Amino acid sequence: MSAAKVKMREKKMRNQPASVQYASPPQPADSSAQRNAPVAGGGGGDGGPSGVHPNTERSKNPQPRGGWVRGHQRDGGGYAKEMPKYITAGAFAKARESEVRAMLKAATKTTGSCHVFGALPKHMRRRAMSHNTKRLPCRLRDVANRMREKSLQAGSKKKKEEPKCKSRKARRQHGNLLLEFNRRQRKNMWLETHIWHAKRFHMVKKWGYCLGLRPVYKCYRASYRAMSSHCLLQDLSYYCCIELQGEEDELLAALSQLSSKQAGPTFDAALSLSGQRQGSLVLYRAGRYPMQPLGPVSFLWRPRAQGSSHRQLWIWAHPTIKQDLLPELQAVCRCSEAVLPPAQPAATAAEVDAALEPKPGKRPESEQGTGAKRKQTFKDASEPPAKMILGDGTRSPTTPLAWRSSSTSMVISDLTMEIVRYRLIGPQSHSVLVETMEAATDCDGMDGSQLPTLWWPEHCRNQSHMDLHRQQADVFHLLKGVSSTGELPSGTVLGLTVDDPRLTLPTKKVKALPCVKQEQGEEEEERRRRELMLRGAPAHCSQSSLWERRVRDNVTDNKMPNKLLNHMRSELLAPGSRLSPAPPQGRVPVLLVQQPGKQVYRGVRVGGLAMSLKHSQNKGAAHFPHDYPDCPAGARFQEEQEAELLRKYQRYPPAKRTNYIKHGCLAPFWCPWQQLAEEWELILRKGDEERRGDEERKGDEERRGDEERRGDEERKGDEERRGDEERGGGEAEPRRDGAVTTLPVRVTVLRNRKSLRLLSGWCRPTTSKGQRAPRRGGAAPLDRSAVTRFLSAHGTSLVWVRLSVLLKGRPELHAMVCVPTADDLKLPAGIGPQEPPHREHFRRRKKGFKAAAASPSGPNPNRPAPEGAELCPRAALPLPHPSGVWPDPLPSVTAHCARVTLGWVTQGDFSLAAGCGEALGLVSVAGLLHTLLLQPAARRGTLLLRNPDSLHYRLAKVNLEV
Amino acid sequence: MVRVKSRYLLCEVNVEDRSHLLLLDDRAVAVAVKATVARTHGDYGAALCSIGFSVKYLNAHTGIVFLRFPKRCYRILWSALPFITCIETRGQKVPCFLNCLHVGGTIRTCQKFLIRYNTQQLHRMLPKCKNEEEKRQVQKSILNCTITRGNRDESEDDSESEEDEEE
Repeated sequence: MSAAKVKMREKKMRNQPASVQYASPPQPADSSAQRNAPVAGGGGGDGGPSGVHPNTERSKNPQPRGGWVRGHQRDGGGYAKEMPKYITAGAFAKARESEVRAMLKAATKTTGSCHVFGALPKHMRRRAMSHNTKRLPCRLRDVANRMREKSLQAGSKKKKEEPKCKSRKARRQHGNLLLEFNRRQRKNMWLETHIWHAKRFHMVKKWGYCLGLRPVYKCYRASYRAMSSHCLLQDLSYYCCIELQGEEDELLAALSQLSSKQAGPTFDAALSLSGQRQGSLVLYRAGRYPMQPLGPVSFLWRPRAQGSSHRQLWIWAHPTIKQDLLPELQAVCRCSEAVLPPAQPAATAAEVDAALEPKPGKRPESEQGTGAKRKQTFKDASEPPAKMILGDGTRSPTTPLAWRSSSTSMVISDLTMEIVRYRLIGPQSHSVLVETMEAATDCDGMDGSQLPTLWWPEHCRNQSHMDLHRQQADVFHLLKGVSSTGELPSGTVLGLTVDDPRLTLPTKKVKALPCVKQEQGEEEEERRRRELMLRGAPAHCSQSSLWERRVRDNVTDNKMPNKLLNHMRSELLAPGSRLSPAPPQGRVPVLLVQQPGKQVYRGVRVGGLAMSLKHSQNKGAAHFPHDYPDCPAGARFQEEQEAELLRKYQRYPPAKRTNYIKHGCLAPFWCPWQQLAEEWELILRKGDEERRGDEERKGDEERRGDEERRGDEERKGDEERRGDEERGGGEAEPRRDGAVTTLPVRVTVLRNRKSLRLLSGWCRPTTSKGQRAPRRGGAAPLDRSAVTRFLSAHGTSLVWVRLSVLLKGRPELHAMVCVPTADDLKLPAGIGPQEPPHREHFRRRKKGFKAAAASPSGPNPNRPAPEGAELCPRAALPLPHPSGVWPDPLPSVTAHCARVTLGWVTQGDFSLAAGCGEALGLVSVAGLLHTLLLQPAARRGTLLLRNPDSLHYRLAKVNLEV
Repeated sequence: MVRVKSRYLLCEVNVEDRSHLLLLDDRAVAVAVKATVARTHGDYGAALCSIGFSVKYLNAHTGIVFLRFPKRCYRILWSALPFITCIETRGQKVPCFLNCLHVGGTIRTCQKFLIRYNTQQLHRMLPKCKNEEEKRQVQKSILNCTITRGNRDESEDDSESEEDEEE
């Protein structure tokens, strides 16, 4: 019988009397009465037609249990004692009484159905009784009322879940809508284009912002085409801007602790310092250069004002870096005094400025009108009524946004969400920009008296400002002639003030194409354009009013609402013509920044986060925070990614999950970089010792014995130097004890430019070096001593490599990068070697464990890999360990498969730009060099790639870009 | 209307020694009835008795038994009941006979009859009481047997509280 039936039956039989007998468990009420019944009364009253004979004299003890007792009589042993010897009138009467009561209960109560209406005969039931209880007979009314209340409550509970208190019309009214939006912005920040994006994109909540992940329409290829031949627009406003102000030398001194010249140009590079170029670099914790990076940032200096050494610097960082970066900056600048925000909370101040970064590209063709249109819509979304929350809605108004140094004049302020930043990717970006924006018309004709608050008329009164503006406008016009954005020097900055782009919007969608042809006739123009291409915009042209907070606030506050604009448009005489006297408000300062990039892209489509990932992949650049496992943000990202992948994996039915153990994939969801780097160091050290005659070696390393031995012999005579070196000696010792745990020593990614250049030279096959060889004449050739020297500096680091698959194959996330054996290189290019399938040792053990756990008491915990549970150092993982994935203490990651593992791929896909599978991965420097040494010069730099769910290795070419 | 119909016999087990009554249990009674039916009516009777026969209720203190028989053959089975002379229970034979008090179509009617019957018995017992204490006890019992307003409310409250707990 099912549980429900049992329940029903219980309910039905609740009032029915059970048999009263000693064998079965007696009813509590009756039995207690009965047992106490044998009172020491005299002869019982004779009476009753049943002929009860109170033979009190006869004391005939019933025999104790005979052979007939059944098992179900649980308290059978007890009855003999309890059986009364006498019968009295009182007992007799009591027995009758209790029986009557039981029967009464059974007879008066309605049995079975618990419905009130069941108590009524059918012909007396009425439908209306269910809601009007007064139609019921009195005796049922109470119960019915109670039941009705209950059902009403249950109904209201359901309703509470979806309260729709107001009508749609009321909800959509402007004020209410704004309130609702403001409420929803409290948790995650919205970009100014949020509403525009939310209608068209899959939104994700990331890093405290609501960001568009990818458009809802199919656009993968279209976006690529846009990037490569037209223009792709991205809203990067979520990047955090930190402003530093202070004396130039003080700033530079403070910031120099955070970076190193070895990793590329720093804050004091001459071009960026003048404000002409935007720079970018990787920041480190103060004074910890090779270790503990924070992450990549880009920065922009405000051009010098005459005769003043006071400078302004903007540092643009990814929001995940900000939490680490800001304290670090405060520390180095010794800016600890919080400057309380002014009376107005920062939430109301935000900018409508557009810092637009065109990306370069080459193949121009695509419709441009749509681009302009979209641009326009963006502007609309960003134009707020006063009530609307701009900027950071999640921040409390009392949080300090600026910090001042007590000793120096430096001020750090957090400009997050104050400046809007868009990125245009693609060769047609300039055409789009030129079409969309026009240099601001000066309003000399206006009498400044009427609107003293506006900045532009004020600005116009100053003659030097106007000169500058005219020069900037000239340069901007020159841009029209530039056929591709790639022709400009990278990082060029151009300040400009433009008319409100809504005013200059074309009435029809038109293609924005470069107009190179018309202008070619003028030699003067041509000469200047060439100059521009060579040298970039002159320094003073990169000055912009965007740098001044006053102007930014002014622009935001005085923005003309769309409604007004449309109204003005409707009053025009000729419909469709332009608003000729531009209203004085509509001037927006912008900074145009040329972003370095070598890829071929374009089209104004709008891309989301997913597209920016693809973009960086096509560019071959590392994407933050995906590819920065050494930064705290990168590490956090890796953890999140692992949890997410594991969750996804567990959603599959067990039969459909990839058994990663059988595929020989140790960590399909994360990459144990630390372990990898340590193991490679160990391998190399071990090789040294071995050659000395120390014959102990692990069983798993025997597989690549000869290869290993060859490597060892090549490193003859180096071990002394290695031994002296304090780093290798200091760090490798504890590790060899088997303590492969998360030591505080974190992995680092090699960013030293010189070393990278050296390494990248070594990666190339010598035959194809050709013309490169003379250029790199100074570089040391690849040999043992050079390698040893290199390793002594960067032994435990990782290095980014780009891998392009030679023939077939599409690398995926966390694919393994392996070392090919000599035989593998002899195979024809398309056919890679196969990994023999691994055996899963866990299954049998698991079963044994289950059986063992089941036989004692208690259910088996559902964790299928108990041996993992015991040793698991990362036990904090919320999910139980699924089968098919290695339980936690991983065995040696390098030697687990037939080919030695070098590293893993952090992003990989089929590259539409290259036409083959491409991947960006990190490999161990030690392992890479070791491999390169052993490879023949002609095939140098060939590695193997294997996806986590495949047994097939693919040959791939290593490329290291500096 | 549409259901399996049966007859419920309200019987009283009469024994020589009242204390033997306490030995009874429903299984023993059922076995005794079956055996007797088989003896008197043969295999046919035994077959009739195998389906739809059960002992619904047995009170070892008062010796009241509810027997359920299928309606179509209850007369045959009933006719065998007088031949029960002893019930074997817990290893000993209890000499007894069954006295049928009531035949009902539902348990409910039997219960109602039993209530009436028992109160009647108590009423009869009252004048025959020999001492005061007995008399008092019987009076109390009689009082308890009738449904008073207080009684009913109490019992109802009980049942309702149970309901609330369930839900």
